[in-house]
Amino acid sequence: MASQAKTAKTSCKPVDPERPFALVVAGAGGPRIAALNEAAEAAGLAIGEPVADARAKADFLQLHAVDAAADDAALRRLALWATRYTPTASPLCGDYWSEDNGADGVFLDIEGASHLFGGEESLLADLAARLQRFGLAARLAVADTPGAAWAASRFHRSPLLVLPSGREAAVLADMPIAALRLPSETRSALRRLGFKTVGSLIDKPRAPFAARFAAELLRRLDQALGRVDEPLVPTVAPPVYHSLQYLIEPIDTATAVVARARRLMQNLVHVLLRDDAGARALRLCLYRVDGAVETIDIGLTAPTRSVDHVARLVELKLEALAAMEDAGFGFEAIGLAVTCAEPMPARQTEFTPAEAGDRAERCAALIDALRQRLGPSSVRRLAPVASHIPERAEILPPVDSTTSAWPEPAQPRPLLLLPQAEPAEDVMALIPEGPPRRFSWRGVTYEVEASQGPERIGAEWWHTSQRSAHSRASGNSCGSERQYALTRDYYLVEDLGGHRFWLYREGLYGRETAAARWFVQGLFA
Amino acid sequence: MHELRRLLPTHESFHKALPFGLAAVDSHLAEGGLAGGALHEVVPAMQAAFPAALGFLTAFLARLFSPAPLVFVMPAYTRRRHGRLSGHGLHAFGLNPARLILIETAHRKDTLWAIAEALRSAAPAAVAGLIDRLDLKTSQKLHLAAGDAGLPLLLLRPAPTLEASAAATRWRVGAAEAARDRFGLYARPRWHLQLERARNGRSGEWVVEYDHVAHRFSLAAALADSAFSRGASDGVPGQNRQNLLQAGRS
Repeated sequence: MASQAKTAKTSCKPVDPERPFALVVAGAGGPRIAALNEAAEAAGLAIGEPVADARAKADFLQLHAVDAAADDAALRRLALWATRYTPTASPLCGDYWSEDNGADGVFLDIEGASHLFGGEESLLADLAARLQRFGLAARLAVADTPGAAWAASRFHRSPLLVLPSGREAAVLADMPIAALRLPSETRSALRRLGFKTVGSLIDKPRAPFAARFAAELLRRLDQALGRVDEPLVPTVAPPVYHSLQYLIEPIDTATAVVARARRLMQNLVHVLLRDDAGARALRLCLYRVDGAVETIDIGLTAPTRSVDHVARLVELKLEALAAMEDAGFGFEAIGLAVTCAEPMPARQTEFTPAEAGDRAERCAALIDALRQRLGPSSVRRLAPVASHIPERAEILPPVDSTTSAWPEPAQPRPLLLLPQAEPAEDVMALIPEGPPRRFSWRGVTYEVEASQGPERIGAEWWHTSQRSAHSRASGNSCGSERQYALTRDYYLVEDLGGHRFWLYREGLYGRETAAARWFVQGLFA
Repeated sequence: MHELRRLLPTHESFHKALPFGLAAVDSHLAEGGLAGGALHEVVPAMQAAFPAALGFLTAFLARLFSPAPLVFVMPAYTRRRHGRLSGHGLHAFGLNPARLILIETAHRKDTLWAIAEALRSAAPAAVAGLIDRLDLKTSQKLHLAAGDAGLPLLLLRPAPTLEASAAATRWRVGAAEAARDRFGLYARPRWHLQLERARNGRSGEWVVEYDHVAHRFSLAAALADSAFSRGASDGVPGQNRQNLLQAGRS
């Protein structure tokens, strides 16, 4: 089943709706009209007419260029709003916008959803009433196939139509060829051959059409008549499980939203339990009275069926988002969808004492909560990287990623690594290869009491992009002659006060550089 | 029965003290070790002693044998000022870096929230964090939260002046010359440890060293031989030597 809404075009500049108004798109032979309002229609204008003719017909014609991107965005918003009826809403936009293909509607797959509204007729009536309240002039049709619904919503007399099952061919027969969603060349070719209506095509032998026209023609015909399937591409990935609640009284407080989300999760838990599944990702949709939709995505570290946990995450997200601040007149419907589910065997929870599994669960819950409030990038773990260059030897991936085992350190490694190696000033050291005897760092001079080293770490020559710390620190990005980073000699030094540093000398005297520079890279405990 | 089962684990963990394994230090603490469910403060003796204080805290965490993760909450600015925890460094310290959950926070409010949340979840084996300002009331809240969870909460407090707090213990950690092997190579870190405040305990002062292989603390004075051998060969006694000689005066 599908229904179709034809959105009225709106523009950012003020337009007098009582006067003729049209949107213009560049076409063959000059600009043509792409959309018009009722006043323009009354003046005898038509979609596809050249603007020059239209100007002659109507005085004070208000014209605006089509803003395809804004149309696209508006249509997507409308499709998102329409998920209050069914999870599968697919806007007709994206590929190309022109007056012929009329990419200006939304398909809704209402199979299995219409009974919630008391049948297709009442769903359609409800949808029409709501769209009218938003100020959208809509033409709606319900049919067995998207193609038939598309045709009926555009070419049928009635703006609200429920096409009975099996009657597609009969209804489409009287409609013009344009009802088949064909490109304009195919349409004009058919017209030249004398085919005016869909009915004239239906019973003709197929072979000549297949030979003469692109496969498009027969495919569109078959799609409209239900001979082949036409899958819809939904705006948002359809959920695995979905629970939706319409509210008699709109709600506008965070507490109320959390309470509703809790109720919805309770509904979902039954289904999840039945399928031995747990939610890995959830989406909470808040449908505002004025048609806007707030979506809150919740990711989980481990599959869960816990109502409390989900309710708490929603609460944290609402705090962080301040979504409640622009609730407007409140939310009239609220939906919770499981967008990703994973197998989760049922487990007895009553009599088991606190053990490992329980702790893992609590840990996952903790990570979820931290991420929800602080952002996913602020909860991390440490992971080793196979590199000898200290600043490249480890990374901070997200906490739920798997890491390889840490290699046993052969040489001492500092507990703290500076974000970037900092130059050590006034270094007194034996040339060419002596440990430092004295150095200053961050304005303090340290007398070295004991030192250990050097540990020589060569540059990773296969990384050409790896610049020396020298050229980085001096901001001398041209890096002049040197293409590769220099060899480093690391020393563990201890000053008189017992503070331990990790210093390195960059560059080998004579071979790589004439004046080596010293850097502090880490601090030992 | 249900009631008993609920009480049992909290009761246990509440009283579980975490000893240093050093009679000299443990005897100063009321529970014979750091109280399990309590707030403990670790203060660098001076700004340059920040790595030493962090090292002491890390050594303590490394001694907690538990499969549970450790939560470390650090405000974002500390990364610029003091650097970040290095996984290879932690591993060299005897702490498996894979156990660590690192949390970086943008505001002090977030830091406190993250610490409280980690305690509330009772998922980690211990919670460590860094906070510069901490008023009495907040510290009381954190102390109680740690008590409820039965988890040790270790806070690093790199602040020049410290307010009164509800912490069970406050340690002032200073840098000390490292223990070296007979070739003069770096073997074990040492810290100048000062127990400044201990609830129901006595204050004290020691120089301790930490062995990352055995996960063991020991008094530096007991190993004075190896400490002096290098000094003798150098012929230049450092000023720190005086501190070492006074070590363990407690």
